[in-house]
Amino acid sequence: MSLLEVKDLNINLGEFHLRDVSLTVEKNNYLTIIGPTGAGKSVLLEVIAGFYPIKSGKITLAGRNITALPPENRGMSIVYQDFMLFPHLNVFDNIAFGLRKKALSRAEIEREVRTISRELRIDQLLHRKPKTLSGGEQQRVAIARALVIRPKMLLMDEPFSALDEKTREKLRSMVKKAVKDYSTTVIHVTHDFEDVFSLANRVAVMKDGRIVQEGTPEEIFCKPTSDFVADFVGTNFFHGRVLESSNITTISIGNIAIYTTEVAEPGAEVTLSVRPEAIILTRELGMYSARNVLPARVVKVKKRGHVLWLTLDVEGLTLRAVITLNAAELLGIKEGVKLYIMFKASSVRVIG
Amino acid sequence: MERLSFRLFTIFIALLFALFLFAAITTLFLIPKPNEIIESIKSEEMAYSLKLSLVTASISTLLVMLFGIPIGYALSRFDFYGKSAVKSILDLPMAFPELVLGLALLLLFGRTTFGGALNSLGINVVFTKLGIIVAQFFTALPYTARVIYTAFESISKRYELVARSLGYGEFETFRKVTLPMARSGLFASTIIAFARSVGTFGSVLILAGGSYMNTEILPVTLYLNISYGNIGMAITSGIMLIIVSFTAILIFERLEGSKNVSVRG
Repeated sequence: MSLLEVKDLNINLGEFHLRDVSLTVEKNNYLTIIGPTGAGKSVLLEVIAGFYPIKSGKITLAGRNITALPPENRGMSIVYQDFMLFPHLNVFDNIAFGLRKKALSRAEIEREVRTISRELRIDQLLHRKPKTLSGGEQQRVAIARALVIRPKMLLMDEPFSALDEKTREKLRSMVKKAVKDYSTTVIHVTHDFEDVFSLANRVAVMKDGRIVQEGTPEEIFCKPTSDFVADFVGTNFFHGRVLESSNITTISIGNIAIYTTEVAEPGAEVTLSVRPEAIILTRELGMYSARNVLPARVVKVKKRGHVLWLTLDVEGLTLRAVITLNAAELLGIKEGVKLYIMFKASSVRVIG
Repeated sequence: MERLSFRLFTIFIALLFALFLFAAITTLFLIPKPNEIIESIKSEEMAYSLKLSLVTASISTLLVMLFGIPIGYALSRFDFYGKSAVKSILDLPMAFPELVLGLALLLLFGRTTFGGALNSLGINVVFTKLGIIVAQFFTALPYTARVIYTAFESISKRYELVARSLGYGEFETFRKVTLPMARSGLFASTIIAFARSVGTFGSVLILAGGSYMNTEILPVTLYLNISYGNIGMAITSGIMLIIVSFTAILIFERLEGSKNVSVRG
């Protein structure tokens, strides 16, 4: 039995809505929900938490129907992007807030607060007021406050987006450990794929109030089931016809042929996906083990963080590749430059 | 050049008005002779009026807060049938002359079956001290509810959602999270409620009647004595009104300050 089962959920909040959302989460899973702004990710989280009454659908937690249960009886705690620490309470009282609703002695509360504070390294801050803390510290307090009650499920709504990259990195590893130590099941809404790669073992992609794909990170990133998901996760995407399929499959796309190790029916129309990071660039041709080697022209160069995203024109086909700044310098990458791209036949996925 | 003179013009207007207002207030303290004021303060009428003002305004303030907090909270947090109607009706008295509000209350309590029913229960509002409180309550509540509404609006609903998810019910969340967070706004509202109640004149005059040593509160004393040409008493009641309002603000700010939060914070 799954820990959480959401079935055919519908809600309309004017600006946001959910349509026929069904989702299951197993115990101790870490599910991230990704999708464009306005897809309904946060609404889904808040509906699971019980903040909005739903029009139709059913939510089951550990076999119990909780659809009509008020949030205080669901045993799920929530962490928001903007911390939401109670400003009139100090750090200790913020963390102890949920514990005080339980039948615990003063000493037990004290012990629980100390344990989680050590885990998240905020034990030096317990007497401070929230507004005197840095963003990273505030979010650790908020996570401690949510985890300390040992919730059946921890819900996080873009918990790291208000923090800088370095703090984010640090918090990810702390959360990873804490979630494991408290054996918590997590649903984490994010727009940062780094959260997915470093924390999640399940991913759901949302669009227009629907879940369009749900699976392991590998499935989402390497086998997107729709153009939308492929676009959203940034993978390259082609439609072609299978020419032949023996020990290697050849697929014709426009005037080029692409080789894949996946098996396909000759004559069939197929969709292929190649991850941008699987594409290797070279200025001169030589002997390579990669089966797919094609001439390309750099159309657009865009810097994003520590990497460059290139838009390439390959015999009339548009393709995206990602390379490091160093590699770009070495190869003299700029708009208009002609070079060759290559990728292994095993990097080409047939996705439909 | 044109810009500079426009700038000087606006500053000039601001200074001019402030000067006039300040001069008017100072005159209040400078014109009367000190012994006249002392005589007036010692008078039985002034003592009666001051005491009645303080008692009625305090009771009204308490009632206004007891009603204003739920009203402000409901308007800020919940969607319900008739919400926009409630909002518009609450806004009415601000554009409504106080005298007309008094007249409306007089008719409600004096000329309708509702008023008659209250009367038969022994509750007499018209031309009584109870009428003073009713008039003050109806005058001050719309203003106060609006300030309380703003105070609740400034608190993100997510604080309450977090508390709910941590096991607290609706009312507990209100008590443990929303109320403490709204504290400075509620203190400010209390001052506004009190200041409005103490200063209410028109509606009190019509509903409770401005009868000498009976329903005579400070603004009524001022009015009655101006009518008699008794300038000393009139000015003294004016000064009393100002002192009462400022003392209230000081006391509230002291109370609030002792808890380390400023009213305007």
